[in-house]
Amino acid sequence: MNVNIIQALLVFVVTFIMAIDQFSFLESLYQPVVLCPIIGAILGNFELGVVVGGAYQLMQIGSMPVGGAQPPNAIIGGIMATVFAISLGLEPSAEGVGAALGLAVPFAVFGQYAVTVTFTLMSGMMAKADEAAAKADTKGIAHINYLSMAILGTLFGVIAVAGLYSGQALGEALREFSLNFSWVMAGLDAAGGMMKFVGFAVLMKVMMSNDMWGYFLAGFAVTVIMSAVPSISGSALLLVSFIGLAIALADYQLNSKIKASAGSAGNGGMSDGI
Amino acid sequence: MASNVTQTHYNDLTPANKVSKKALNKMIWRSLFLQASFNYERMQAGGWLYGMIPGLVEVHTNKDDLALSMQHNLDFINTHPFLVTFVMGIVLSMEQQKTDIQTIRSVRIAAAGPLGGIGDALFWYTLVPITAGICGNLALDGSILGAVLFLLIFNAVQFAIRIWLMNWSYNLGTKAVSTITSNAKEFTRAASILGIFVVGSLIAAYGGTEVRIIISDPAINVQSLLNGILPKILPLAITIGLYFLIKKGWTPTKCIMLLIVVGIVGTMFGVLAGNSQAQDENGNPLPGGYTPLVEWYEYPTE
Repeated sequence: MNVNIIQALLVFVVTFIMAIDQFSFLESLYQPVVLCPIIGAILGNFELGVVVGGAYQLMQIGSMPVGGAQPPNAIIGGIMATVFAISLGLEPSAEGVGAALGLAVPFAVFGQYAVTVTFTLMSGMMAKADEAAAKADTKGIAHINYLSMAILGTLFGVIAVAGLYSGQALGEALREFSLNFSWVMAGLDAAGGMMKFVGFAVLMKVMMSNDMWGYFLAGFAVTVIMSAVPSISGSALLLVSFIGLAIALADYQLNSKIKASAGSAGNGGMSDGI
Repeated sequence: MASNVTQTHYNDLTPANKVSKKALNKMIWRSLFLQASFNYERMQAGGWLYGMIPGLVEVHTNKDDLALSMQHNLDFINTHPFLVTFVMGIVLSMEQQKTDIQTIRSVRIAAAGPLGGIGDALFWYTLVPITAGICGNLALDGSILGAVLFLLIFNAVQFAIRIWLMNWSYNLGTKAVSTITSNAKEFTRAASILGIFVVGSLIAAYGGTEVRIIISDPAINVQSLLNGILPKILPLAITIGLYFLIKKGWTPTKCIMLLIVVGIVGTMFGVLAGNSQAQDENGNPLPGGYTPLVEWYEYPTE
């Protein structure tokens, strides 16, 4: 497929925006049903783009990025499926575009790597955010957010444009690479999965005192139990917070009453009723 | 450093006036960028603070207080992006009342956590599959109507929810917060209990760290042995370990470095579970998620 520089630039810009949209902004522009027709129009075959978008969207349902688990990326996947469908001259029908979806998978995997790398890099940037906050530097906070979106958009744009020019050959090379270095990406995935524990540990430091360990472990235990019941595992966090609310309210009422009665009895010795 | 906020109260304790409609609207707009600087350590913290700033600037005219507030608004947070304005409204009303800092932190995490689950069920499991299913089929027939319809429905729902939740929760919070000041100390304690309860819950709900080692002959699955002792034992142990490191003075950044090393060394030897997303020639995922650099046990391939 002959691609001119204007088309490549347009693909870069659209990919840049969509990469941001998958987590921020409207969180809907990036869906294949919207994205693929746009890419199709840029490459001169709008109709095929519409059909690829429909096919990819139906494939995508059921693999939404939920609860931190990330499926191979729908944006790069959708873009490359459109590119392959057009360059191979596939039929604009559900059966016709099937081959393009398969060829796009290695690129979708690399899109996911770009996400993993960005989320890891930005973990390091949080120390900079803390510094900006300590100086009440509202612009600094804004810039960190803009920078993060720019990193993600650029990585995605580069992958899409590289795919646009080198097509299947690059797909094969990417697949080889991801096979040979699968342990590195799995390592980043495992590390990424553990990093949220740092955030939890900081929260613990804020709220924990020695008499709170029981509540902490109780919250953990109730959630483990609920997660084991398939029919309620989806709403486990909500149900657990109801129980937590009851415990917290009971504690509040008890201590408020102790304080009130201590006050009326003139017993100054009970300082905080714990 | 978010973990180093030691002051328990703002310097200026006079409740601020209600924030302007303009600031609330700005916050709604900025709430779209909740996940802009999403990261593995604190997830939506950067975008959360970005969204809160228009309100915080009006509430905290004292610059030291603004800095203090911005620092603790960088705590770990993960909630549903379309429901976040509910948490923003509540937190803003507490900031406006100059509620003590620990209470704000506890209420924030306790409100944010459960919303994540509700939002996933409402949006990703219900709204998106239904609309995307209908619209995907329209598109398969070659109609661009599919894309247009999808964008219209999805965004109408999303914006209606964001705008309504922000106004409702802010007004609700303003009313509720002023009634609890008589027993402030007791309320802080209760909020901490709820907060720490939810943190324990989050470890079990979001913690996915597992050991990968499965030896087929003799059959040993290390993770199921660990599950027999206590399910989610690794997430619990790692969090408590990090808590003590941070208490000893480790910075979060240093903890992250440690985890990256542990993660990569762990997968180098095939100890930790991780998903590389890589596929073989036939498009099948790799057994065990990846191939370790050093293969010292045979992973079952069936």
